[in-house]
Amino acid sequence: MKRGLCCLALLLVLLLPTGCMDRMDIENISLALIIGLDLDDSDNLEVSISSPVFSREAKRKTEVYTAKSLTLRASQDEFDKTFKAFTSGGKSQILLIGKKLMLQKHWYALLDPLLRDPKNSTTARIVLVDGPVSKVIHYDPQDKPRLPIYLTYLIDTASHLNLATRTTLQELHSINLDKGITASIAELRFDDKIFIKGSALLSENGIYKLSIGDEETRLLRMLQGEKKGEFKFTLEHEGAPTGNGIVPRNLYTVSAVKYSRKLKIGYARDHFTFDFHFHIRASLLEKLFPFDVLKSEDALEAEISRQLEDKFRSLIQKIQQAKIDPIGLGRFARAYRYNEWKPVENKWSATLSDADINVKVDVLIAAMGSIR
Amino acid sequence: MKVTRLNEITLMQYIAIVHGAQVGTGIFSLPKDIALKAGADGWISILISWAVITLAGCVMLLLLRKFPDDPLPSLLGKIFGRRLGKLALLPFIVYFGCFGWIVMVNSMLYIKAWFLPKTSVFLIILLFAVPTFMLVRNGMRVIGRYAEFILYSMAWMPVFLLFPLSDGHWTNLLPILKDGWTPVLGSVRETLFAFTGMEILFFVYPHLKRKQYAFHGMLIASTLTMFLYTFVTILCYIQFPQDEIVQINQPLMNLLKIIEFRFLERFDMIFFALYLFVVSRSWSVYGFATAYSLGRLFNRENHTGMTALYLLAILVVVFVRQPTWNQSIRFGDAMTIFNEWMLFIVPVVLLAFVQIKALFRRRTPG
Repeated sequence: MKRGLCCLALLLVLLLPTGCMDRMDIENISLALIIGLDLDDSDNLEVSISSPVFSREAKRKTEVYTAKSLTLRASQDEFDKTFKAFTSGGKSQILLIGKKLMLQKHWYALLDPLLRDPKNSTTARIVLVDGPVSKVIHYDPQDKPRLPIYLTYLIDTASHLNLATRTTLQELHSINLDKGITASIAELRFDDKIFIKGSALLSENGIYKLSIGDEETRLLRMLQGEKKGEFKFTLEHEGAPTGNGIVPRNLYTVSAVKYSRKLKIGYARDHFTFDFHFHIRASLLEKLFPFDVLKSEDALEAEISRQLEDKFRSLIQKIQQAKIDPIGLGRFARAYRYNEWKPVENKWSATLSDADINVKVDVLIAAMGSIR
Repeated sequence: MKVTRLNEITLMQYIAIVHGAQVGTGIFSLPKDIALKAGADGWISILISWAVITLAGCVMLLLLRKFPDDPLPSLLGKIFGRRLGKLALLPFIVYFGCFGWIVMVNSMLYIKAWFLPKTSVFLIILLFAVPTFMLVRNGMRVIGRYAEFILYSMAWMPVFLLFPLSDGHWTNLLPILKDGWTPVLGSVRETLFAFTGMEILFFVYPHLKRKQYAFHGMLIASTLTMFLYTFVTILCYIQFPQDEIVQINQPLMNLLKIIEFRFLERFDMIFFALYLFVVSRSWSVYGFATAYSLGRLFNRENHTGMTALYLLAILVVVFVRQPTWNQSIRFGDAMTIFNEWMLFIVPVVLLAFVQIKALFRRRTPG
């Protein structure tokens, strides 16, 4: 009995080494950390991959190649033809999409293999590139860590500072299928160096619609109710002299340290109404003109509120004109006004474009810093 | 003689076995299965199903109370007589055998898709079969200890699912009952399937040491399962919008994929590898039910040989059929009706039969 058990245990241990037969060493995998998709000048699909090389002898530790292919999965062969090892998408961090491709109908279907194969990770950050993707992916700066790591940090930091929105593949998939929201993703441009441009807003079927800068990204994030990260705004003081044209004496910067968002959803006369009410605790980061914050606090607070309201209003106007819903107001309409939402759920973005969206801002200056 | 004398189990083990038999691989696709009909109100169907299944458990216990020391084979023998009892046992053996098989095959398919795409189906099942054999041949007490150990040691797993909570959208759940009760009730059937495992009471109850707590134990076990299912379903619903969830085959897997740590990117891999322990509990219990019944069918005192035979049969079937995802799903669907009979019709019929028999017996002398 005991001996039998021992034998069985030994046999089990013997079974383990069989797993070593088809083991995969890390040197034999090309991890596609960045995957780039773009169209070339004659509208053929171009797939680029950047993957680290694990080899002591190699001088450059990154392999990059751009291949023409019909689909993403078919392109794998092209990479295996030149790369040292098997390409694998299990660790992809960044997915670069060219603007040219993103303007095409159904471009999104190309991403199918990334979601279908369970081995692939779905948390790659989706980034729009304004310009050719191959230029970005072949960029090899001397003063930065290797590109996949650099880009990952760049996007994550930009998202923390709310310069751009960070959207993963899984989130994009959710948003594209959800009728109540449209996507916003980070946007890059390449001009000898890589720069964050802001956020790109997509339409209901995932087609590129419009780009917004960093300030508008912050406003959008606030409308979305995102609390994380920095929200700072540089504003003009009304009535202050503009200075000599070199030092702008009328500017000041405030940061929304903490804010709360209230949203009321209504429906009146065949229109949805959305009333945002922000309560912002701001701190003064810089002020280039003399002004007694302690004395005329109320005036400054009212001015900040007014200016922010104007900024919100113009962003919302832009969004409504483009017939998109990056704020996700449809989700609220569905949750709180289901009966009115149901008939328009398939043309939500159009419905939203003539909804009434109002924003009211109340600012409280919580801190002015260590000098007056 | 009391067949269960040397194999008594504690209340905790009883709970762990029943709960363990219920929770299998179904949990991965459950949020989608319910959402197909009930939409975001799917979690309500879970609550309804829980009530229904607990009721079914009560009926089973009412029946079993009359035969406190008889596992299913001898229970059927006492009701129908030796010959007929054995005949009646046959469909039960097929049922438990098929269920153990389907749980094993499902786990294998997951393992194959997630970790071992190039390993043969047969080899994975073989690896399952060896520890299962060692566990099952030892009988109820050892299975009980194993189930209890798994219950405690894997209790941390649901906690990790809370990590992506802050990115979720609670508004996905609203409005509650948006299309009324009809879709909710419509998906109760799919949900009930996820609670399969209650029928294992036929084997577990006779082994329970303190039978006065049988009802409490059953209630706790199915409530545990209900909490787990509701928890997972709600988490999936707030993470993925309804339009998406019906497109994902295993929403729980997608939820796991979002969880990332700085030091560990593919948390889903580790989670699922450990989840195998949880699932193994389920197929072991079914395997035991099958092997034990087979043993009684051929009047064997010991069911070791039958355990080996059952596992061998599984291996042969898997080797010949090479099951695929679609086959497994279709087989599961086909099992639903079988399962409903087993859970709701059979206990009621048996109970009625026993009552009527008792009535007649009381009348004959008088």
